[in-house]
Amino acid sequence: MWAYIFRRVLYNIPVYLGIVLLVMALLRVNDPVYAYLGKNPTEEQIAQLRTDMGLDAPFLVQYVDFLGDIVTLSFDDRSWDQKRPVQDMIFDAIPPTMAITIPQLVITALLSIAAGLISAFYRGRWLDRGLVFAMVLGMSVSYLVYIILGQFFGAFWLSEKLGFELFAIEGYQAGVTNWFHYCALPVAIGVIVAMGYDTRFYRAVMVEESGKDYITTAVSKGVGKRRIMFVHMLKNAMIPIITRIMITLPFIITGSILLEMYFGIPGMGRTLINAVNSNDFPVIQAFAALFAAFFIVSLILTDVCYALVDPRVRLS
Amino acid sequence: MILAALTSLAFVPSQASAEETVLQLPIRTDGPKSLDPVQGSTTYDNMACVQMYETLLVNQYADPFKIEPLLLAEMPTTQDEGKTWRFRLKPGVKFHDNPCFEGGVGRNVTTDDVFYSIKRVVDKNNGLKNVWLLENTILGFDEYAEKQNASERFDYDAPVAGFRKINGLEFEIELTKPVYRFLYILSMFQTSIVPREAVEYYGKDFSFNAVGTGPFMLRDPSDWVPKRSLTVYRNPDYHEVFYPARDQWSREDMRNRLHRAAGQQVPFADRIEFTMFVEDQPMWLQFRAGNIGYVEVPAEYFEEAFDKRTKELRPEFERQGIRAHSNELLDFIFRAFNMLDPVVGGYTPDKIALRKAMAYAVDLQEISDVFYNNTVIVYDGPIPPQLDGHPEGHRVEGAPRGPDLDKARELLAEAGYPNGEGLPPIKFFANRGGNTPEQTELMKRQLARIGVQLDPQLVDFSTLIEATNNRKAPMFSFAWSSDYPDGENNLALFYSPNKAPGSNHSNYERPEFDRLYEKILTMGPSPERTAIYEQMRDMVIDDVPYIGSLARERFYLINPWLVNCKPTERYWGWFKYLDVDESKRP
Repeated sequence: MWAYIFRRVLYNIPVYLGIVLLVMALLRVNDPVYAYLGKNPTEEQIAQLRTDMGLDAPFLVQYVDFLGDIVTLSFDDRSWDQKRPVQDMIFDAIPPTMAITIPQLVITALLSIAAGLISAFYRGRWLDRGLVFAMVLGMSVSYLVYIILGQFFGAFWLSEKLGFELFAIEGYQAGVTNWFHYCALPVAIGVIVAMGYDTRFYRAVMVEESGKDYITTAVSKGVGKRRIMFVHMLKNAMIPIITRIMITLPFIITGSILLEMYFGIPGMGRTLINAVNSNDFPVIQAFAALFAAFFIVSLILTDVCYALVDPRVRLS
Repeated sequence: MILAALTSLAFVPSQASAEETVLQLPIRTDGPKSLDPVQGSTTYDNMACVQMYETLLVNQYADPFKIEPLLLAEMPTTQDEGKTWRFRLKPGVKFHDNPCFEGGVGRNVTTDDVFYSIKRVVDKNNGLKNVWLLENTILGFDEYAEKQNASERFDYDAPVAGFRKINGLEFEIELTKPVYRFLYILSMFQTSIVPREAVEYYGKDFSFNAVGTGPFMLRDPSDWVPKRSLTVYRNPDYHEVFYPARDQWSREDMRNRLHRAAGQQVPFADRIEFTMFVEDQPMWLQFRAGNIGYVEVPAEYFEEAFDKRTKELRPEFERQGIRAHSNELLDFIFRAFNMLDPVVGGYTPDKIALRKAMAYAVDLQEISDVFYNNTVIVYDGPIPPQLDGHPEGHRVEGAPRGPDLDKARELLAEAGYPNGEGLPPIKFFANRGGNTPEQTELMKRQLARIGVQLDPQLVDFSTLIEATNNRKAPMFSFAWSSDYPDGENNLALFYSPNKAPGSNHSNYERPEFDRLYEKILTMGPSPERTAIYEQMRDMVIDDVPYIGSLARERFYLINPWLVNCKPTERYWGWFKYLDVDESKRP
């Protein structure tokens, strides 16, 4: 297995270098210097700023410099916009993002797998139809609408009715005791939106499994419904489930831009969109490099997980 | 029981002790980018910096168009009609206690701090964002900046011909010529006084470790969470600054009981907690929930709070004790032409006729109705309302203001393009943020009525600036907010030495205008100066280097628990005057 992992890592190095190259090249289509100038700049001041930003060096030199940062895992260049070391910004932004994304991922996965199983098992009956209707409805409404309505009714309106602020309208404070107040509502909104897509997917997987011979055999042997669903079917449907979950893993780090913007959560999504809006190349590059690395690692881990859950899969 | 459990989980933000006065205030958008005054340029940098740092002069709270001494004992004096200014610092003004000082105790502000802080503005290591403030102003200063920036190390101890130290508290500054705006510059946050020890102690991290003389201070760098929040604490050693006297307030201000703290030492708050709001809904809901003291009313909530026709506050808000306040901003929002462009630029009668035709076709009032709830002022000329040189009734006779489609078509034919025939599509550069794409679409439709085709180029801000700085944009959308309340600041946008990449992005050039501009630089307010402003305004109107103008009116709502509040955007040092009436908290 280790040889397989090593080989996959090796194969992915050129892909990774290509991604970084592409991101850096695309960023430099526009000249960011003009966004950072004061009033009445002279040509000398523009040139000075370009030098300060490191943009006067040839592209290849900038590329190699950045690869050096990646290899040494030290994104210590300062953000052009905030003047802080990029790595500090990333380290500060990851915990708030994970306070939202991890519970969201776990709750969504558990609920949508269960809903998918139930829906598939009762295929064509009222329970299935009701669940499918709810999921399609959930998917049909924009994420932004959920956020706006959720914030208004879940936080503001509810606070007025209760006389105390159960869920914060916006804001974030670290710590377990603050989690419910600041994070529960955004997590709930995230779960509602994600469940539609996930449940439909898991239902399709389960429907395919439920038509297989081993299920017919289990039913004919008199195995209980619950056991068929949660032991036989679930175990055999693990490959697509793992694939789906693993693909979403990198997003644990990136977070949700909309949720973070509306709920004032100082996470990675908000950091990234701020960086994009202000042409803050050091932050965007570091973010892209990090995300690409996580994505590649999660793909490799997906293969490893296949082998762990399905003895027929061999990593060679 | 479940409710009780949930209640225990609910967290009440910023629990203050009974004796503490805590203000919760909003910063719209993502807040400051730096707490180092010389690196700042935006309103939000200003808003944050002035809580910790102070300038020699400052705007008055009761009348923000006037300036008064802050770190000075009295207004500067001059014996040679504004060429040389003599300053006397207020004795005993201390910097915040900080580890950068010996024993961690802040020392008194001296003349050397003033010279050091002004020199920092032109040090290339600080980004040179604010050099324009002091260019061509202080005797020998441009030469000093050039020499130091060319050398290996910027020498702050090297002399400047125009700086003359008299003693630790008194000094003179000699200018190259009398420059009237100089006193305004000394009230701008970029010229705040900083201690050299702090800059050298913190190095690159100085922008996170504000050490000034201001009414509030940081206790720890983590008090500022960029893009999220900023918490500042009362400076226990703040020098003597008093709430404006009763006679400074207008009758209307007195009706709003703004005078009741007259003569009291400030600040009143022990702590201010600023929250940055990138989206408007959370800010609005936090205000409605009573969690923040005041709010700048976002356009989409305007009709919820005000009657659109009368602009009166709705009764349900009044019943809650919420107070409304509005300010006309010193805005110059315009659509500029590049005067060097071969199609729309130039000064020949046909070129002027073309630009005038377009100006007559554009209906700015419709733009105001659709996008600004009819709250903007449409006016002629580049000088915003409330300033000398602004036309009476906002109108100048003969100024090309639309919609007058017959006149527009007539002028278009005069320009050689009857019904737009033969006129190529005109590239119009605009920032793609906010509702600019929709505004551009409306303008495109308005111009299409006379046969002029607009080709919108919706780009990010950086590309917009690049296109205008490189003189490649034939037409573009721009807005200018006056740095100080003097029409000279707006007329500078048409002074030819400021051509792109300077602030004269239309690349307007008229020798007579330049001559008059150089003349007004040295003049203080007077009927003679106002007459010249009007003459210059009319020159610009005649040549039509832009279509405009618009100035926004800003509407604020103030929660009943926030007292002494009269929001202004002229300066941001007024938070020290705010107080809290805890009995009115929700």
